[in-house]
Amino acid sequence: MIITCPFCGPRDSSEFVYREEGGRTRPDPASTDQAAWNAYVYERVNTAGDHEEIWQHSGGCRSHLRVLRNTVTHKILDVTLARETGKAEKPA
Amino acid sequence: MSPRRATSGGLIDRSRSIRFTFDGQEFTGHPGDTLASALLANGVTLLGRSFKYHRPRGVLAAGVDEPNALVTILRGEAREPNIQATMLEIYDGLKVVSQNRFPSLGMDVGAVNQLGGKVLGAGFYYKTFMGPVIGPLKGTRFWMFCEHFIRRAAGLGKAGTMADPSRYERMNAFCDVLVVGSGPAGLMAAKAAAESGQRVILAEQDARLGGSANWCDETIDGQPAGDWAAATVRELARMSNVRVLPRTSVWGYYDGNTIAALERVTDHKASPRRGEPRQRHWTIRVGKVVLATGAFERPLVFPGNDRPGVMLASAAERYAAEYGVLPGEKIAVLTNNDGAYRSALALREAGCHIVAIIDVRADISQPARATAVRTGAEILTGRAVTATEGGKKLHCIKVQAFDAATGQISGDPRSIDVDCLLMSGGWSPVINLASQAGAKAEWNERLQAFLPPKDADGWIGAGGFNGTFSLDAALSEGFAAGGGTDAGLLPATSSVDLDIAPAGVFEITGKGKAFVDFQHDVTSEDVRLAHREGFQSVEHLKRYTTLGMATDQGKTSNVPGLAIMANALGKQIPEVGTTRFRPPFAPVTIGALAAERYGEIRPERLTPMHDWHVENGATLYSAGLWHRPMIFGLPGETVEQAYVREARTTREAAGIADVSTLGKIAVQGPDAADFLDRVYTNMFSTLPVGKARYGLMLREDGLVLDDGTTWRLAEHDFLMTTTTANAGKVMQHLEYLLDVIWPDLKVTLTSVTDQWAGASIAGPRSRDILAACVTGTKVDNETLPFMGIVYGEIDGAPVMICRLSFSGELAYEVYSGAGHGTHVWEALIAAGKPFGLVPYGLEALGTMRIEKGHVTGAEIDGRVTARDLHLDWMLSKKKPFVGSMMMIREGLVAPDRLQLVGILSRDNIPLNGGAHIVEELDQDNPHGSIGHMTAACYSPVLGQYIGLALVKAGKSRHGQRAFISDPLRKRFGPIEIVSNHFYDPEGKRMHG
Amino acid sequence: MVDQLSPLTPVLRSGRYARDDHSVGVTLAEVQPGSIVQLSAWPGQQAGILAAIREVMGLFVPGGAGSGVATETKSAFGFAPGKFLVSDQEEGFSVAFADAVGPDAGTVTDLSHGRTVIRIAGPKAEWVLAKFFAVDFSEPALAVGSGISTVHHDIFAQIQRTGADQFDVYVFRSFARSFWNSLRHASEEVGYEVE
Repeated sequence: MIITCPFCGPRDSSEFVYREEGGRTRPDPASTDQAAWNAYVYERVNTAGDHEEIWQHSGGCRSHLRVLRNTVTHKILDVTLARETGKAEKPA
Repeated sequence: MSPRRATSGGLIDRSRSIRFTFDGQEFTGHPGDTLASALLANGVTLLGRSFKYHRPRGVLAAGVDEPNALVTILRGEAREPNIQATMLEIYDGLKVVSQNRFPSLGMDVGAVNQLGGKVLGAGFYYKTFMGPVIGPLKGTRFWMFCEHFIRRAAGLGKAGTMADPSRYERMNAFCDVLVVGSGPAGLMAAKAAAESGQRVILAEQDARLGGSANWCDETIDGQPAGDWAAATVRELARMSNVRVLPRTSVWGYYDGNTIAALERVTDHKASPRRGEPRQRHWTIRVGKVVLATGAFERPLVFPGNDRPGVMLASAAERYAAEYGVLPGEKIAVLTNNDGAYRSALALREAGCHIVAIIDVRADISQPARATAVRTGAEILTGRAVTATEGGKKLHCIKVQAFDAATGQISGDPRSIDVDCLLMSGGWSPVINLASQAGAKAEWNERLQAFLPPKDADGWIGAGGFNGTFSLDAALSEGFAAGGGTDAGLLPATSSVDLDIAPAGVFEITGKGKAFVDFQHDVTSEDVRLAHREGFQSVEHLKRYTTLGMATDQGKTSNVPGLAIMANALGKQIPEVGTTRFRPPFAPVTIGALAAERYGEIRPERLTPMHDWHVENGATLYSAGLWHRPMIFGLPGETVEQAYVREARTTREAAGIADVSTLGKIAVQGPDAADFLDRVYTNMFSTLPVGKARYGLMLREDGLVLDDGTTWRLAEHDFLMTTTTANAGKVMQHLEYLLDVIWPDLKVTLTSVTDQWAGASIAGPRSRDILAACVTGTKVDNETLPFMGIVYGEIDGAPVMICRLSFSGELAYEVYSGAGHGTHVWEALIAAGKPFGLVPYGLEALGTMRIEKGHVTGAEIDGRVTARDLHLDWMLSKKKPFVGSMMMIREGLVAPDRLQLVGILSRDNIPLNGGAHIVEELDQDNPHGSIGHMTAACYSPVLGQYIGLALVKAGKSRHGQRAFISDPLRKRFGPIEIVSNHFYDPEGKRMHG
Repeated sequence: MVDQLSPLTPVLRSGRYARDDHSVGVTLAEVQPGSIVQLSAWPGQQAGILAAIREVMGLFVPGGAGSGVATETKSAFGFAPGKFLVSDQEEGFSVAFADAVGPDAGTVTDLSHGRTVIRIAGPKAEWVLAKFFAVDFSEPALAVGSGISTVHHDIFAQIQRTGADQFDVYVFRSFARSFWNSLRHASEEVGYEVE
């Protein structure tokens, strides 16, 4: 599998690690909503089809990438730097 | 009569001879020969015994599709089994032995298995040996009794037990166009792509490029096809944008057009050059793959079709044309298509006598008949071979009338004396790689074969792969696949007007074993048996009969097997469907996959002072990738004596340890303090510049991730330390938070583990030692209080010293640039000599931390909370931090959780990490674990064996007796549960 | 001043380790820059870092992903978004950069002791590097001066093309000896010379 890192260009999958399901929102750090924290830590959508994922180019520039990948065909549809595509934490 | 070498013809070099041995007997061949061609040239037809029935087997094919002729190569002490004789190039000194025979190939006692044919059918082992014991000769226990004998009798070659001394390597490559296969279509594709300036790799599994051009009798561009191919290859090899890879089988097609290939670099050489790998594993990232992999001719399934002397028509043609080997003197042909007529003619022209052409079809085409007439053979249409005779070597075939529509055999058999029977059951395009890439094969009625789909993402097909069998069309498809547009550039050819479209006949049923999968000894009757026993899906058929599961992966058996299954089910072949091909296309050595890691599994990570340790008697210990001193033993000391001495001396005088392996992360930027407050459970924004603090980090789920000290070097500049084992994990955790959760924070994280050499100097005399060698700063209690940091020099090298303690003694960590590490270390050793300083290793370090009750990775095992480790004092209530909400979940604050305790051995016998702790000792039936040991040692300060453990509600059990239960190491005995703080619980010594 | 001790010292043996036909395909050497410094720009502040590189080292880095420049004695290249690795034969550049890069622009991290630089040069340099790294080393995929970050199993590497057939490989100091030994092993096929 090849992932095209926005900085490094196309690289072999062995340089990347899968980190997380993407598109999730971390509760505000001060939130005491136990259910919201539980959902954040444990609940996943696990889509069959187009799926947003966070990968790290750990064997390259070490950036985290937001990868849109089809979990059925393994096709990668889009890759952006996670840093540049918005916060994943709820504003206070 | 025997096969023999023709006096002329073929692409071998008759001017030179190569000597090799087969089963100890010496033979000669010529450069350009494979083992198969060389043995045939010497009249050898018996090459091995079959998998299950030990039937004599010869050569069926001429290339990578060969199922029978598997041999074992002996290379010094190493042996490599199951090598196809058709793919093995001979070289001087090659030593080969045949397989699966005892005591010899000619006299094999295992051949009695043939008599038990009915019993040994598909599923025999399962039916006989699985399940409950019923009677004396059935069931699992019976299997255990018989297994030894069966394993000896069945199977392919034996693996060697000696280490393989070969060298393997990996290569990464990138190209615009990868052409797989160098037949006319592939060469044309490579040429077109190369001439348009693209980066091209051309991979050919055989030694000689050109594919069918090397054995067909056609011309390209006015010259023999083989000459055209050779000229084209030379032209390509000269181009800087082309890499030509002979002996390279492309075996895997993965996502993103990532291709795996195996190059046999020196397998054909008597003596490889220095540094040359035996094989090279290529990983190729490709823009467009051109699949020009050709097609395999299929055998026909009829009784006795496996007898040595029966071979594929195209293989015989190839032996004659490419190797100058006549596979027989008197040859008959059995076919269901016109293609075999061409093979017959080629062999006739090479000097063989074609006795008869037996065609299952009642009517044949005019060109076929004309060709047959030229061979001088008797033409027997509407007939089939229903038996072969001759023991280990074919000498006679039986021919009967055959109705291609019904499969009915009639009339009396007629015997025809032959020493070679060529068969052709039509052709199967080699779509394996396309199938790996996800392409769904489509059944083509005319060709009676599965073809690749027309549209593909990432690859394009050409030639035989597409089911295109005319030379003109193959060149034209190759040209287009390579991106060529001007058809005027295509060379002219002499085309042969023979259509390979076969009649839909795959099997001739009769008496006797008719093989579908030669390598796994699967007969047509096995396929029908599977059907009768209810296996209807092709996937189940495959697994039950093991059809297509041998090392040849069903290259010759796939379609015949499906056809017979379809017939049994009363369905059409496309309804039955085909299995998806999986990697590898051809066998791959494990060594090649390991490549540069073969023999040397992991890189060594060395500290700056490593060489000093080695020179000064350290016994090294691998901790992850790091190599760390375990002990600095004196002559005659045991490990325990050494670490006890080192720990005792440190506590009484001073000791020095290399702590360079601790993970070190530079946390820099205006938001660094804020960031640390978020990721540590305790506060770091309040830490003054020039001070360090012990910190604890949780995961998002509230369990402990890691601990360590973090030093504030400047307002915006922190140096975080992590445990050695968790350095990478902590870095990833922090990077994730910064990149994904808090991208607005201005913080840079950099691994500086390797920037710093760290020496921990501990013990009551440690301050005196520093005072004796550090310049530029004082080190007294006022200048350098507990957790303080100072900067100075030791013997001219800049150092940074932080006063912190893991051992519980007065202690300091002295950091210098890694390149100065040994220099500073040696200066400290010299300064410490008058004070009795000793170097100590991990064992003493561990001993002192156990005495002190400090935790490490053994306790921070991913399941413990801060409270479990009695670190709740570090949980700030003033701020949220990662894990702060999740750590208060019910289950994580329950009173009966495993908690950190100390353990005293009450029988004065050593304890072991991993041992269970129980309330009731029951050696015969160990049960009732209330926890486990995480660390153990002999404590010099307590004078007894102690340890740390995680025990259920451990804190409430202090002072209680329990037992150690360690059945694996047979260690049972009484213990006492105590506080984890064995030594100086008030910390007077380190604050002193 | 105390000299840095190279981790390669005990294993670096100068000499010619040619093929049977006496040819060598690559030359291996350790480059020992006095300073190796990592510069990181806050988002939108890359221009400030590039200006600092110009001011301190006199090198003009274009600033595109991975772009860089190398001279006989100094080099600079981008290896991650907003991050640059610079090296110079002179020691002490981290101090000069600390002055030139303010907290509003980014950070300066001294790695002079933490990274070992191995130079591989010669007609077979791309071939030997391709045994280790799944990266396209051909020009123009990797132009002279440009750098990349990659990994060989556990060994992280930042690699700058410092000439038509010359590459400088920055590895963690602790892995340098292991990597050097692997590099020699991999170079045997083409023949090599150690400077």
